[in-house]
Amino acid sequence: MLAELVQHIVNGLIVGGGYALMGIGLTLIFGIMRVVNFAHGEFFMMGAFFLFTLFSLWGVNFFLASVLSVIGVGLVGAVVERVILRRLRLQPIEIPMLATVALSVIIQNAAILLWDPSPKTIRHVFSPLPLTLGPIHVVSIRIFAGLVAVALILGSHLLIQKTRIGRAMRATFQDTDMARLTGVDVDKVYMFTFAFGAALAGASGALLGAVFWVYPAMGDLAALKSFAVVIMGGLGNFLGAIVGGLLLGVSESLGAGYISSGYKDAIGFVLIILLLLWRPQGLFGKKVIHR
Amino acid sequence: MRSRAVWSAVLAGVVLALPFLGVDDYYLHLLIMAGLFFLLAAGMNLLLTAGQLNLGHTAFFGIGAYASALLSLHFSLSPLWTLPTAAAFTGFVGYLLGRLTLKLRGAYFVLVTVGFAEVIRLVATNWMDLTQGPMGLAGVPPFNLGTERWTLVSKRDYYYLMAVTAGGTLFLTSRLLGSRVGRALAAIQSNESLAESSGISAYTHTMLAMVVSCTLAGAAGGFYAHYITFLSPELFGFQNTVTMAVMVVAGGQGMVLGPAVGSLVFTFVPELLRMATFYRMLLYGVILLLVVMYMPRGLVFYLKALLRGRAGAPVSSEDAGAGFAPEALVHGDSAALAVRGVTVRFGGLAAVDDLSLGLGRGEILALIGPNGAGKSTAFNVITGFQAADAGRVEFDGADITGLPPYRIAERGLVRMFQRTSVFPEAPALANVLTACHRLARTRLWELIFLTHAYREEERRHRERALGLLHFVGLGRKVGEAAKNLSCGEQRLLGLAIALAPDPSVLLLDEPAAGLNAVETGELMHLIETIRGRGLSVLLVEHDMKLVMGLCDRVVVLNYGVRIAEGTPAEIQRHPEVVRAYLGSGEILADA
Repeated sequence: MLAELVQHIVNGLIVGGGYALMGIGLTLIFGIMRVVNFAHGEFFMMGAFFLFTLFSLWGVNFFLASVLSVIGVGLVGAVVERVILRRLRLQPIEIPMLATVALSVIIQNAAILLWDPSPKTIRHVFSPLPLTLGPIHVVSIRIFAGLVAVALILGSHLLIQKTRIGRAMRATFQDTDMARLTGVDVDKVYMFTFAFGAALAGASGALLGAVFWVYPAMGDLAALKSFAVVIMGGLGNFLGAIVGGLLLGVSESLGAGYISSGYKDAIGFVLIILLLLWRPQGLFGKKVIHR
Repeated sequence: MRSRAVWSAVLAGVVLALPFLGVDDYYLHLLIMAGLFFLLAAGMNLLLTAGQLNLGHTAFFGIGAYASALLSLHFSLSPLWTLPTAAAFTGFVGYLLGRLTLKLRGAYFVLVTVGFAEVIRLVATNWMDLTQGPMGLAGVPPFNLGTERWTLVSKRDYYYLMAVTAGGTLFLTSRLLGSRVGRALAAIQSNESLAESSGISAYTHTMLAMVVSCTLAGAAGGFYAHYITFLSPELFGFQNTVTMAVMVVAGGQGMVLGPAVGSLVFTFVPELLRMATFYRMLLYGVILLLVVMYMPRGLVFYLKALLRGRAGAPVSSEDAGAGFAPEALVHGDSAALAVRGVTVRFGGLAAVDDLSLGLGRGEILALIGPNGAGKSTAFNVITGFQAADAGRVEFDGADITGLPPYRIAERGLVRMFQRTSVFPEAPALANVLTACHRLARTRLWELIFLTHAYREEERRHRERALGLLHFVGLGRKVGEAAKNLSCGEQRLLGLAIALAPDPSVLLLDEPAAGLNAVETGELMHLIETIRGRGLSVLLVEHDMKLVMGLCDRVVVLNYGVRIAEGTPAEIQRHPEVVRAYLGSGEILADA
């Protein structure tokens, strides 16, 4: 009994790490740029497909291919910011939002044309045999995915707290006009933020794509879940995205194990509705007072 | 007005004649689908006018469809009855979701509605007993008019049913958006605090928009169910909501015709793209992106601008409202305001500490103090924007502590805000007209059916608004958008907005900020006139010339504590006041 519970929690934490990565990207983009990125699921999907193409089709080394995939998604993000979002910065919030919706239609259909809609697997380099610790069994690719997620989360934290660009990001987050006055290149911060957020989504997609399946519509559900994650944690809240992601992963895993696997994907949203009854601003969000 | 009626008649004639003009079934079907999406987009537009984008709208479409289908299947009722029932039920679900989510704003609301639609989709997929899950619900009876003999069979039948439904929807939404409800919704989006302080309840109005929009979506769903006669959980797909949102935004949000044009264009565009076969959806996305990027305000907006540009914009520089005496517009029964022991803490810091003050009838009282003394916080407590940790606020003898801002405004206690006390996008006249909201006595059905009483009321409010604009000296700027007015003019417009709800007590937060000496003089004269009409005025101000020249009494705050009270002359000599201002030196130097 207990072993089963722990097994569910471990599985949930590993998937939750992927959710947290997506959530961090989304929450940074929203917090700094005030853009709700509906193309986030497509960045996730691109991460998986880039890895599939580089590793499974072209035979590039798995680890190198992973790194290149993430960088590739980041570059796409930078281009999107420069070409599309920068022009819409002064529009009301729904305009850039719809632009990302349009973008998601474009990217997903381009993926269908480039790689056909059938699901694919990435035959990664890890042994298919599970590692066993007492009664808990975890296949090694999942351990790899979990560790990389942890490393990326820590890395993002360090980047934001310790580096120059991170400091500029925090300044822009607090007050864009003030940041600009004190010499922060806000354009650069926006571009970097969007690229970085996209890259995190891409990393999440590459990791979970290697564990599960790769197909053009894989980003739809992932995007919805990352929305759930950031609402739970509070929009624009870094720590909230991590806690929200892990919470969602674990509760889904427990829900699928103990309640019903059909409703597994609804759990996050039911959690949100319950949470909103109690704390409308999310777990870590600050209460917004009338302007 | 007349030409609009003619245009409507011509349009209705064309719509009714279409099936006889050789339009074949394929195009009739597309027109029916466009009508269906119009119901959905029109509802979404209503809520978006208040700034709330419901990206889970397709859930309500699906709920209406399944409700009507299941009712007619299980109870063998005529769709004539199940469809309205389903629409009403959907409206009720909208009410429930609204109760939960309408306090959320912006992105939060968007994301929660997306999540709601996803939950409903999963329920529809997994609740096999009710919905037959992914296999879908087949054999839904076609629409009939009460008995099976009068079953709608052909596309033409459904086309006419849709024409009537869509016409009704167009009428309903144009009445709502063209009346004080529409003004209130736009005001909520533009400046929610100011709307509330003018007596407009953001919650009530967004809820009205939510329920109407969900009922329309339910009706659209019911129509779809009996028209197509097959339902599957794909109805709940995000793609559907995206289509609706595109129609609203690309058509022109906040405008009555926006969703109509949007739903027509974006029903036919994907059909035209069919020849592109594999690239169809890709092209659709690209078109979408281009429209959003280069026409963010929607087709109708640019069409209107084009037409207006050709006809020449109506320019009027005459001084409107000159015929109105201020006596008719401003008359306080001058209730008194009392603040008793109010304390507000932010963390450990007391922004306002045990503040008491009384405002007599017909009095002008100034609240002054150095920056951060707690003046604005005190204002926020009095007008309901900030909860007090202790103490009471009494207005006209009644306890108003903790009432929401719009309730306080309804009682006749109205404030002007420090910086933006206008609705920036709207013309000056609409600004003041919006703020007349609390004076409205007509009911919702009266404004929908344009009764005589409603038209009279609108006319009176319009005259009142014009008169007030003239009173503050903006009679020549009636048609100017508020954001295009100068800083001083915006303050004056703010004053007219504050006077519009016919208050008995006026709270002015730094009314002279940003005004030059001449403008300040005019403002002082206005405030004096207002007081002469029996209003009581409480103001926060840094301009000591204004404070000393205008006020009967002055209360001085420092670090949240009241340190002095007296006539302007007493205050200028008060040792503690001098000490509090020492270093800034403004109080004595300016006066």
